Amino acid sequence: MAITGRLVLLAAAALVPMLLFPSWGTAGLLCAALLLLAVGDALLAASPRRLVLERRQPANVTLHAGTESHLLLTNNNNRTLRAMVRDAWQPSAGALDPVRKLTVPPGERRRMTVRLVPVRRGDLTAPHVTVRSFGPLGLAARQRTLPVPGSLRVLPPFHSKRHLPSKLRKLRELDGKAAVQIRGAGTEFDSLRDYVRGDDVRSIDWRATARRTAVVVRTWRPERDRRVVIVLDTSRTAAARIDDEPRLDTGIEAALLLAMLAERGGDRVDFLAFDRRVRGRVDSASKGSLLGRLVQAMAPLEAELIEMDWGQVPAQVRAVSAHRSLVVLVTSLDGGSPEEDLIPTVAQLAQLHVVVVAAVRDPLLGAMTAERTTASQVFRAAAAERALLDRTAVAAHLKQLGAEVVDAEPLDLPPKLADAYIRLKAAGRL
Amino acid sequence: MTGPTQLDTADRAAGTPTGWKARLRRHLVWIVIGSIMALTVGYVVVSRLASGPDDRALSPRNPAPGGAMAAAEILGGQGVSITEAGSFEQAISALEARDGAATVLLYDRNGYLGEGQLRELRAEADRIVVISPGRRTLRGLASSLRNAGVVPEGHNVLEPECGLEDPLAAGSISAGNGQLYAGSGTICYRVDDGGLYAVSGDGRVVVIGSSALLSNDLLDEHGNAALVLRSLGGSEELLWYLPGLGDVPQDRNPATLDELAAPWVAFLGPWLVVVAFLAVLWRGRRLGPLVFEPLPVVVKAAETAEGRARLYQDSRAVERAAANLRAGTMVRLARVFRLGPDAGIDSLVEAVARKTGRPPAQLRDILDHRPETQSGLVQWAQTLEQLEQEASTP
Repeated sequence: MAITGRLVLLAAAALVPMLLFPSWGTAGLLCAALLLLAVGDALLAASPRRLVLERRQPANVTLHAGTESHLLLTNNNNRTLRAMVRDAWQPSAGALDPVRKLTVPPGERRRMTVRLVPVRRGDLTAPHVTVRSFGPLGLAARQRTLPVPGSLRVLPPFHSKRHLPSKLRKLRELDGKAAVQIRGAGTEFDSLRDYVRGDDVRSIDWRATARRTAVVVRTWRPERDRRVVIVLDTSRTAAARIDDEPRLDTGIEAALLLAMLAERGGDRVDFLAFDRRVRGRVDSASKGSLLGRLVQAMAPLEAELIEMDWGQVPAQVRAVSAHRSLVVLVTSLDGGSPEEDLIPTVAQLAQLHVVVVAAVRDPLLGAMTAERTTASQVFRAAAAERALLDRTAVAAHLKQLGAEVVDAEPLDLPPKLADAYIRLKAAGRL
Repeated sequence: MTGPTQLDTADRAAGTPTGWKARLRRHLVWIVIGSIMALTVGYVVVSRLASGPDDRALSPRNPAPGGAMAAAEILGGQGVSITEAGSFEQAISALEARDGAATVLLYDRNGYLGEGQLRELRAEADRIVVISPGRRTLRGLASSLRNAGVVPEGHNVLEPECGLEDPLAAGSISAGNGQLYAGSGTICYRVDDGGLYAVSGDGRVVVIGSSALLSNDLLDEHGNAALVLRSLGGSEELLWYLPGLGDVPQDRNPATLDELAAPWVAFLGPWLVVVAFLAVLWRGRRLGPLVFEPLPVVVKAAETAEGRARLYQDSRAVERAAANLRAGTMVRLARVFRLGPDAGIDSLVEAVARKTGRPPAQLRDILDHRPETQSGLVQWAQTLEQLEQEASTP
């Protein structure tokens, strides 16, 4: 039951008879009349219980891209439904017009379209639909909330896609498919060709040269079919916001760019999101487009407010790939005590694999060190210096263990990580 | 959605006391402040209630400077019996009992008595001594007299200047803050056209223009006491009447708003309340329950660094802050000059001196300086930054 503005107006209009015949009898009569009108109108309204609701919407949408959710209302009443319908999406789904006035004649069906512009990654839900069905006079209404669960998966936006063409060109240069041919990129023997001035004399194949009159050099090409294992840290440190973006989202961007690049480079990519247990996983063996599977796995990831269990990481990596692979740890350098968790793990992994540690650096720390006008600013600068020195020390320690460290600010992390991959591939270290 | 419940259970597990104890602890400050306020108010009220029997001006039982206990005591000592009237009815009945053979002292500072009451009082009493009456009081008692302003500045002492017996015997009196009266009766202690002491034509109403004459404070100055005692001690009986709020005549109340308003006005308010209630129901009904939004954590990553900065500042860790700043600068400079992470201060000083052209001793002084105060730290930190910029500009 709900009343409308019309009933309030009617009550205000009843002031005229009230003041013309001021007595308690008039007041009682008017109250009774209003009550009767309201109840009668509500009783004559179409029953929301006898509606059949159905939801239709796309399963996926990219963040900040608009989509439409459809709601089908079938009126099984004998009366016309005049109703206010609210499709209750959660606020971050960005529903532009979730409340709509609808008129559905008896036995007919109408479609209500709600435009959604999601503002958060993840699974967004709409648990119910509320229908407020007005009576013929529009004085009162029957209201009912009907459970019609709906859900929409919002995929990570992959902004770092724009770096992909330039990185792919670099990769093709290694591969020898591009216009510029670079000798000696990679370690796998590819073919023999004639020497041209400028080639490294060390690459001359003397045996082949002896068989022919011209000088012949060997060319190599980068290895293929190597394994790349991306481990994304979803523990509490991933929740911290850097440049108004959670560290986790920056990590997702970097992992997506690296995965696309490695796939084009002919390598096999495995993805693992992990804190204390596996939160998401994509195998190189399964079918379907890698990008599609990756974004599906990444969409529902949230930073969990628990500590990362680094001790389990080597076992998880071994479960994915028992052979030498490129292990990329997308994590942070300043959470907890790296000496006890990150560093021993990297030391263990580095014995078998090539390890790259990718971490986001906070640009705010750099800004804090530069402000030195007041005493409190100088103390902030000192604290920021301490944080940066700690990061530098951890990074140096990791490098000593033979791992690559990519420590960059949020926008730079994806391309820098891609560069590190290309560099490793060029050096034939995969 | 699971976040808050987890926190709740964690709270409870940490041994936070629950129930009324926790509530008591949380509101302890307000409880203490409230009790102090309550005690203060209580003390003030009690002390007001207990502060002597009477503190009204010119009360015969008030020993304060503004009271008139001295005059009452002297009169009592001279054989005048003083009756105090608490209300108008008491005053009238006391006068009736004495058959009017009494002097009435009337001091109606706020003009509580109406004209009818004053006329009745005058009819009953033999002689009324009224102290600085207002216009209305005077009109009710002696219409032949009228107010004539206040005693002008500069007249502190007045002389009788009339033929009446009492003023002549009393001589000069003090005139501060007095009121002047004029009219057809006998006027004494004249200033301009008014006087501080006036007697109506029939001699039954005596007007004294200053309450100070009677007060404990000024009774012993000049001839004040003589004038007051002679005026009040004329008869055996003295009725001391100070009107109060209870004496305000009831019949002066105007008609209430209810009686003046039209009959429909009584229904206007309640009906508007009904309309407002309906409007509240209309606007207050929500279109279905709220949908939960699992909110993300909003923690700035630099939060730990800021916390550490506050710790440094609170503990005045100048030395440690300086060490951090020095180490940061040296690491960055070593990177700029490609000296490797293990470069000592000597090689660093040498490289910087070659680049900037500054003498090595000065550079070593800057890098080795250990500030001891916060202002020294700020200054040194700026010098350090300047040096770093100089050295790293290509």
